Formats: sequence, C-alpha cells, structure tokens
Amino acid sequence: MGKVNFMPVSRRSVLAGAAALAAPALLSRTAKADERCVVGTWGGDYARLLRENIDDPILKPAGVEVVQAVGDEAPRLAQLQAQRQLPRGALDISCLGALNGSVAANLNLLETLDETKVPNLKHVDARLHSGTFMPNQFVPHIWSVQGIAYNPQTVKDPPKKLADLLDPKWKGKVGALATADKWVIQGAALAAGGSSNDFDKGKEFLLKLNANGLRVYPQTDDMAPAFKSGEIEVGIVWLARTVMWQNAEFPVAGLVPEEGAIIYISGMVVPKNAPDKETAFKYMNALLEPSAQRGFAAHMGYIPTVNDAELAGKVAEQLALPTDAKLVQPDYAKVTAASADLSDWWLKNILRK
Amino acid sequence: MTQAGALERAEARRNSASAGVLVAPALVIAVVMMLAPLAILARYSLNRFDPAELMVTAFTAQNYVKFFSDPFYLGVLWTTLRVTVIVTVVCLLLGVPMAWRLARSASRWKSAWIVLLILPLFIGSVTRTAGWMILFARGGMLDIVARALFGYGGVDLMFTETAVIFGIISINLPFTILTLQSVFEGIDTRLEEAAASMGAAPAQCFRRVIMPLAMPGVLIAGVLCFILSMNAFATPLLLGGPRFQMMGPLLYWEFSNNNNWPFAGVLAFILMATTLALTVLANIAVPRRYRPA
Repeated sequence: MGKVNFMPVSRRSVLAGAAALAAPALLSRTAKADERCVVGTWGGDYARLLRENIDDPILKPAGVEVVQAVGDEAPRLAQLQAQRQLPRGALDISCLGALNGSVAANLNLLETLDETKVPNLKHVDARLHSGTFMPNQFVPHIWSVQGIAYNPQTVKDPPKKLADLLDPKWKGKVGALATADKWVIQGAALAAGGSSNDFDKGKEFLLKLNANGLRVYPQTDDMAPAFKSGEIEVGIVWLARTVMWQNAEFPVAGLVPEEGAIIYISGMVVPKNAPDKETAFKYMNALLEPSAQRGFAAHMGYIPTVNDAELAGKVAEQLALPTDAKLVQPDYAKVTAASADLSDWWLKNILRK
Repeated sequence: MTQAGALERAEARRNSASAGVLVAPALVIAVVMMLAPLAILARYSLNRFDPAELMVTAFTAQNYVKFFSDPFYLGVLWTTLRVTVIVTVVCLLLGVPMAWRLARSASRWKSAWIVLLILPLFIGSVTRTAGWMILFARGGMLDIVARALFGYGGVDLMFTETAVIFGIISINLPFTILTLQSVFEGIDTRLEEAAASMGAAPAQCFRRVIMPLAMPGVLIAGVLCFILSMNAFATPLLLGGPRFQMMGPLLYWEFSNNNNWPFAGVLAFILMATTLALTVLANIAVPRRYRPA
C-alpha cells in the first residue's frame, strides 16, 4: 500500500487560494473606507432626515458610508477654526447657518466649489445667490423666511406687516425668539422703513415693540404651546416652523410681511482641509438632488434650494410664497461685522427685564 | 521601647507609601483633567474677540474690564448670588428638621422615606425641570387649579425668578438632606438623653447640644448647596426664560450665540472665583470650633 497523500494541494497553493478569496473582502473594505464622508450636523429631526433622504437612498447605493458627527453649530464653527492649520481636519462636510458660513468664508476656511465638482450647483435658486459666497463656498440646503405667525382661531384680521405690531391692540400678545436676534433686528429695520442693514432703525423699532409687551421665548418650539394656550396671538418666526406646527395641529398660520421678509438659509460647507474632498463633493451633489430636497420640504417645511425640485399637493400649497413677496437676502458681510454689537444690544435691551 | 518606636515609624512610612501609590494615579488624572482645561480657559480669557476672526491671540485684560465696568454683567452676578443665597437658606431651613427627623426615626418606613428622598436624583435635572415647566406654565397644572379655585386670574410662574428658585431647591434639597442626615446619624443619642436628664427641653437640647455638634456638617451641606446653585444652568435657562439672567446661561450665550470664547472664559473664571471666595469666606465666618476637621 502506497503512501496516501492527504494534502493533494500544496500549502503554498492553499495560502494563495485563501488570499484570493479574501482579496475582494479586503478590497471592498478598503474601498468602503475610501468612500467615507464625515458630516458635522445638528441632531434630532435634521440628522434623521439627512439619513432618510440623502445618506441611505443616494449615497449608500453609491458606496459612500456617511458618518454623522452630531453637535451644536457654535462648537462646529470653532472646530473648523481650531483645525485650520492641520493638513487634515476632522470633517468632510460641516452644516452651518448662512451667517456662520459667512464667518468661515471670511476666515478663508472653505473650499471653493463649481459645477465641475458639484454639478447640481447649476440648479441652485438664483434668489439665494450671494456674491462668491453662495453657492460656491456655502451650499444652501434649506431655506425659509422670517414671517408673521398668528393664531387663525383668535385673530380674524392678522397684521399685514411688522410695523402693525406696534399697535396697542397687540400689547403683550407678540412673541419672538431669543436666539434670532440678528434676524429680528434686520426684520425690524425693514419695518422701520430702512434697509435690512439699518440696524439703528431696527433697534429703535424693537425698543417700541418691547415696550408694547414683546414676549421672548428661548427655543422656537416654545412658541407653539404659547399660541395654543393663548399667551401670544402673533409671532415673528420662520415660516417653515408654522408649517411644522400646522402639521402638528397647532393653531398657527403664517404670512410674509409687506415690508419684506429676511431670508434664513441653512447649508453646508466643505472645509479646505477636508480629509476626503471628492466624497464631500458627491455629498454636496446629493444634497441638491430633487428627491432629497422634496423630503426636507415635506417634513420640515423648508423650501427647496434648487429650481428643479418642484413640489406638489399640500406641501406645495403650504410652502408657496406670494408671487409679490419681497424677499431680502441679508448682507452677510455687514451682519457678520456687526453681529457682536447686535447680540450685545439685544441681550442688554430686549432680554433685560 | 526605642526599637518598638522605630518599628512603628517604619510601619507608618510603609502605610503612607502604599497609600501614596494608591492615591497617585487618581490624583494625577484629577489634576490633569481639572487643571489643563482651566489653564486653557485662563489663556483664552486673555485673548481678543473679533466677530470676523473669532478668537484672536492676544494678552489683554479688556474682557475682565468689560465685565467689571458694565452694570449689566455685575447685575447678572448679583442675581446669581441673590438666588443662590435664597436657595441655600431655604434648603438648610427645610433640610435640617427633615434630616434630623429621618436620622432619629426608628420607624420601619425609614428606608422607604430615604428611597423616596433619593428617587428624584434618579431623574436628570433637565427632565425634572421639564416637569416644573408643565406645572408652572400658563394652562399648566397650577394655573388650572388656581383658576378652578379662585376663578379669574390664574397663576403663571414660568419665566420668573420664583420658578427658578423652586426648581433649584427641588434639585438641591435631596443633596442637603442626605448630607445632614449622615451628620445627625453620627451624633450619639446618649448626648440627648444626658441633656434631657439634666432638664433640657427637646428644643433646647437641639439648639445647645445637637446643632453645635452638627455645625461642621451643616456648613458642608450649605457649601454644597451654594456651589450647585451658583453653577445652575438648565434650571435658570428653562424656568427663568431668556429674560432671566444668571451666570451659567449667560456664559453659554456668549459661547453659543456670539462664539465669543474669550468673554465666555472670563465669565467662567469670575463665576468660579466668586464661588470659591464665598465658600472660603463662609468657612472663615464660622467659629473655628464649628468648622469641619
């Protein structure tokens, strides 16, 4: 009986075979890691909607793994600034409000984008363009305007403009948001007959409004129960919120003030030292896809920032702005330069008892 | 005798050395974790703030000057101190009799009372404050009851100093009572029996015998309550509203709304220094024999 060979293949060929079998897994792992995008974002509904409308339906099938770094906006801006000297920052994308986006742009922290990098930039609504800043450094994601909210059950003749709120009949019945200082001052400047940059006129108007019993709320959502309980009948607030409250069955309607409405934009930026810029560009493009934009419009009440995301049905009705609405894009450079003074003034004159 | 003394000294040295080895890692971590952020904050507080450039490296006291030369900020510090003193006094006034009664209770329900006392500590302060918001708000429980009882008017305590004081007391009182209870538990009951046998009435015994013995503990409970109140954040923010300013929320405003880290650093340091100074002052103000060992 001859020697039986229990090893018909050599050890070397087994190892080679194992390596060949493992290669796709290893390669796909490498590929997955190469296509990772770290997004610094707000938490809550916003983060959930990013996952549901961008990450899972658009980027995941394209092999991009999105990691959300959830936190507040101020630390995110500070993080961008603190990491500016590093060759590789921590974030590929950072979500900011337009005002903080402008600060980041002034600090030269942001990558400049164009249609070769982000093809969907060509669809960004022209009303949102602002010099070289937007949309080429700051990509607008969602937008709304600062309007007048009112309780339609108790207010049959709502104020048409912010200036109407000085009428004693609204005494103690008007609410505003404590953290919207720069926006309310700009809106007040329009109400006082100036441009949005006439901050002194705005301050003067607000002192009168404050004397008329202006109520101030810490968070936007604190105003909904105030409408419901009858504490306030009118509010100065983003119209997107009135849509959300309507959907939650709070008695609130919204209108665009006749003097003009200040545009509020929330968007995203690519830091100059983003670890993976190519993936960040893909994310930016996905952000502007009509399907993603419609998802945010339906659930958050914000208007799409692109002109190819047409809305339909109830959402289109709720988000439609009057055709003659005067929309005012803030002068970001001026507001940024004055922001510390405006905030200080607001704290000491409006928030002071 | 000398040999025995030498052995004792050697034993003491060994104990001391092993204690040092055990304590050192925790001490190093605590010192690094506490002092490093403080050092960074101290440096930041001397920087300059520019709205366009945010924090600009500098070495200036202008942020400190801004705080001490502006009546608004001094007013916020004063409000913080006023609320803190009221909360501390009320917590001690309520806490001492409750802790005393609990410590001397022989009831089989004693454990249940202690559990009830600790129970609120299982709930985060923000959640508890949310409960107070439901109670205090217009259309809230207090308002509904008041309207039912007294008709027109109702009660709207939200966004008032009273609401903040109630909220902080509810958080601090369990800490005060638990601290005081352990102090009273440590006082020998035979002292009360001795005082009674010499004709002292219960109130006199409590005032003349128990309280002097409990004073170090009362001081610790008071200081604990004082520190917690001075640094309160969630309660003044949620119950006080945007128009009620205390140092904690103001610090966050400067950091989050203005991105003004240098001034937020100044506020943090002034808050810390005031708390520390008043704690030391309270310790000095109490006669030496009543101070904690």
